[in-house]
Amino acid sequence: MYKEVLENISGIGLYGIVSILIFFVFFSGVLVWACALSSKYLKNMGDLPLQDNECPEPITHKIQS
Amino acid sequence: MNVETFKYDNRIVRAFAIATVIWGIVGMSVGMLAAVELFYPGANLNLQFITFGRIRPLHTNAVIFAFVGNGMFMGIYYALQRLCKARMFSDFLSWFNFWGWQAIIVSAAITLPLGFTTSKEYAELEWPIKIAIAVVWVVFTINLIGTILKRREKHMYVAIWFFLATALTVAVLHITNSMTMPASLFKSYSMYAGVQDALVQWWYGHNAVAFFLTTPYLGLMYYFLPKAANRPIFSYRLSIIHFWGLIFIYIWAGPHHLLYTALPDWAQSLGMVFSLMLIAPSWGGMLNGLLTLRGAWDKVRQDPVLKFMVVAITAYGMATLEGPLMAIKSVNSLSHYTDWTIAHAHSGALGWNGFFTFSMLYYLFPKLYNTKLWSTKLANWHFWIGLLGITFYLVPIYVAGVTEGLMWKQFTKDGFLQYPNFLETIIQVVPMFRLRSVGGTLYLAGAILMAYNLYRTAKSGKFEPDTEAQAVPWQKAAAVSHAKTKFHRMLEGKPLVFTVLAVVAILIGGIVEIIPMYLIKENVPTISSVKPYTPLEVLGRDLYIREGCLGCHSQMIRPFRSETERYGEYSKAGEFVYDHPFLWGSERKGPDLAREGGKYPDAWHYNHMDDPRSTSPGSIMPRYSWLLTQQLEVDALPGRLAALRRVGVPYPVGYENGPAQKDLQAQAAQIVADLKQGSVTAQPDREIIALIAYLQRLGTDIKAMPAVTSTNQ
Repeated sequence: MYKEVLENISGIGLYGIVSILIFFVFFSGVLVWACALSSKYLKNMGDLPLQDNECPEPITHKIQS
Repeated sequence: MNVETFKYDNRIVRAFAIATVIWGIVGMSVGMLAAVELFYPGANLNLQFITFGRIRPLHTNAVIFAFVGNGMFMGIYYALQRLCKARMFSDFLSWFNFWGWQAIIVSAAITLPLGFTTSKEYAELEWPIKIAIAVVWVVFTINLIGTILKRREKHMYVAIWFFLATALTVAVLHITNSMTMPASLFKSYSMYAGVQDALVQWWYGHNAVAFFLTTPYLGLMYYFLPKAANRPIFSYRLSIIHFWGLIFIYIWAGPHHLLYTALPDWAQSLGMVFSLMLIAPSWGGMLNGLLTLRGAWDKVRQDPVLKFMVVAITAYGMATLEGPLMAIKSVNSLSHYTDWTIAHAHSGALGWNGFFTFSMLYYLFPKLYNTKLWSTKLANWHFWIGLLGITFYLVPIYVAGVTEGLMWKQFTKDGFLQYPNFLETIIQVVPMFRLRSVGGTLYLAGAILMAYNLYRTAKSGKFEPDTEAQAVPWQKAAAVSHAKTKFHRMLEGKPLVFTVLAVVAILIGGIVEIIPMYLIKENVPTISSVKPYTPLEVLGRDLYIREGCLGCHSQMIRPFRSETERYGEYSKAGEFVYDHPFLWGSERKGPDLAREGGKYPDAWHYNHMDDPRSTSPGSIMPRYSWLLTQQLEVDALPGRLAALRRVGVPYPVGYENGPAQKDLQAQAAQIVADLKQGSVTAQPDREIIALIAYLQRLGTDIKAMPAVTSTNQ
C-alpha cells in the first residue's frame, strides 16, 4: 500500500539518492577541512582542557602558524 | 597584559552532582521494582500507582532525565566554565536551570504514578510539564551561549561544540514532538495521528538517545578524559570528524525504530543505511578516547576514575556497533519487540552513561571539596560490583530476547506455529528476568557504595564555593596573534555562525524525513469502514494509556507469516487515522492487541483484568482489580471529544453535549448485558466497562470491509 502511495508523490525515488549525495558531499568537505588543519593548531587545541586553571596567558599567543 | 581575575562557580556543580547521585539511586530503585514485577506480578501489592505500566515510564524518565540529565548539567557547568575561562553567564539562570529541572523531575515522579501520561516513550509527561521543560531548556541554552560569548579563551574546544549541538537539537526535538491538544490540565491528545505520530515520535525517540544520552556525554568525554589521564586527546583532528560525522548522520537514522511497520520502504532503507554508517564516527570517537590512554594504562590500573571511563567508552563502542546491526532489517525482524532491545538500551545506560557519570563524580567530589577521595578501595569495589552487575543484567536479557524472537517465529514441520500460545514464550524467559534482577541489584548496590564514599569525601574536605582563576581575554590579546584567519578558526571563533551551521546539519536529515510525512498525511488512503472511536471507547482508550498497557502490548502486526498466523491480518496505515496518539508500542511482554477485538467474550476480559491468572495460568500481567470498582470519569468526556475534534477527528459539533453521553450509556448497558450472559454482574459506570469497549473494538473496523483494503496492498 505504502509503495503505491509514495509512488504517486512525484520524484519520491530521488529522496534516498539525494540523501546519500548530501551526506557524501558534506562528509568529504569535513574530511578535507580536517586534514587541511595545521598540526600545530591541532596540538594547541588538544592541550586546551589541560590549561584551564589560573592560566595567565590566552592560548592565542601560541598559535602563530 | 590585561590579566583578569575571576571565579568559577562550584556551587552549581555541587548541586547538580548531589542531584545526580540521589536521582540515580531513585531511578535505579524504580527499575528494580519494575524488574521484580516482571517475575512476581504481585510486587505492586495491588496498588495501581506502582504497577509495571505506570512505573516503567517513571524508571526511564528518572534514569534518562533525572540521573543522566543532572549528570550532564553537572559536567557541562564544570567543564564549560573552565574551557571558556569564564564564570557562567548568569548565576540566576544557573539556579533557575537547577531548581526548574528538579521541579520537573518531582512533577514527573508524581504525575506518572497517577497515570497522567501522553504514552509517547521518553516524552510521557503531560503538556504543562512539557512547557516547563521547554522553558528550563531555553534558560540552559541562553546560559550556555551567553557563557560562550563572554569567554576569555578564543578557541572553542570540541567539547563545547557537542554541548551546543545538544542544547539546540534537544530544543528542536522536544518542541516538534510535544505538539498536543490539551483536553484538561493533565490530559492531552497528540496533534499527529497514527503513522505521522509514530514517525515524529521515533524521530524524536531516536534522537533523544543521540542528543541527550550521547552527544553531551561525548563532549564531557573530550574534557574529562584528558583531565583524568593528564594528557591531550589522541587526535584532535579525529574529534572534528567525529563531531560533524556524528551530528550529521544521527538524525537520519530514526526510521530504524519502525522497520517492517507501515513506514515507507525507502525511509526504512535510508534509516538502515545511515544507521550502519554511524558505526564510523562512533567508533572513531571510541578509539579516540581509548587511544588517549596509550602509554598510560598503568594509571588505569590504579585510578578508579579512569577505570570507569575505560569501561564507559568501551560500552559506548559496543552499543554503537550493536545499534546499527539491530537496524539491519533482517536482524530487526528478530530483535524488535523482544528483550533484546532492553538489553541494548541497558548496555548504553548502565555502561556508557552510568559508568561515565560515576567517573565524573569520583573526579569532581575531591576537586570540589579540595581533598582526596575518601576511599579508593571502596571505589574499586564499586567498579567491580558495577561491572558484574552489568554482566548479570545483560547476559540473561540477551538470552531472553533471542529466545523470545526465535520462539515467536518457530513453525512446526507441518507449517503451524510451534508456540501458538504467546504465554508459553514468556514463561520460558521468566528465569532470565529473575537473573536480570540480580544484576540490577549489584549495580544499585555499587551506586549506594559510591554515594557513601562521596559523602565521606565531602565530610573530610572543605567545600570551595568558588575557584579563583586568571586569564587574559582573547579580544585584548588579539593584537599579538598572527594566525591567518582560516575558515575553521574563523568558524569556531564565531559561536553563532557555528551554531547556525550545526543546526543546518541536523535539520537537513530531519527535513528530508519529515517532508514525506506531510505528503503521506494527504495521501494515506482512508479505509471507509474505519470510524472514530465511540465515546465509551475514547474513555477506555484513555484508561489503556493511563495504565501504560503499551509498555507490554504492541498494536502493530508486522507483515510476517509468524505474526499474521498468531494475531491475524497485518496492520494497515489507514486503520490508525483516528489514533491520537498512536499506540503501536515497542515491546511485547504480552501478545499484540491490534486485532484483539472479538477474540474473547466480554466476561473473559472482565475476569482477566480482575486476575489475569484466573484465565491465563502463569501470566505475568498484574491484576487490575481497581478498574472493576473505580467509577468512570464521564465528566471528562465533553472536553476530550472537543479536543479530539480540534485535532481532526470528525465528531459532529455539539456531539459531546448530550448525544455522546446517550451513546455511551447505551454501549455500556450492552456490555453489562453481555457480561451477564457470562455470569458476571457489573455496574455500567465502572472503568472496566470502558476498557472492555475499547479492547473489543481493536482491529475490528477493517473486518467490516476487507475488499477495500486488499486493493491497497
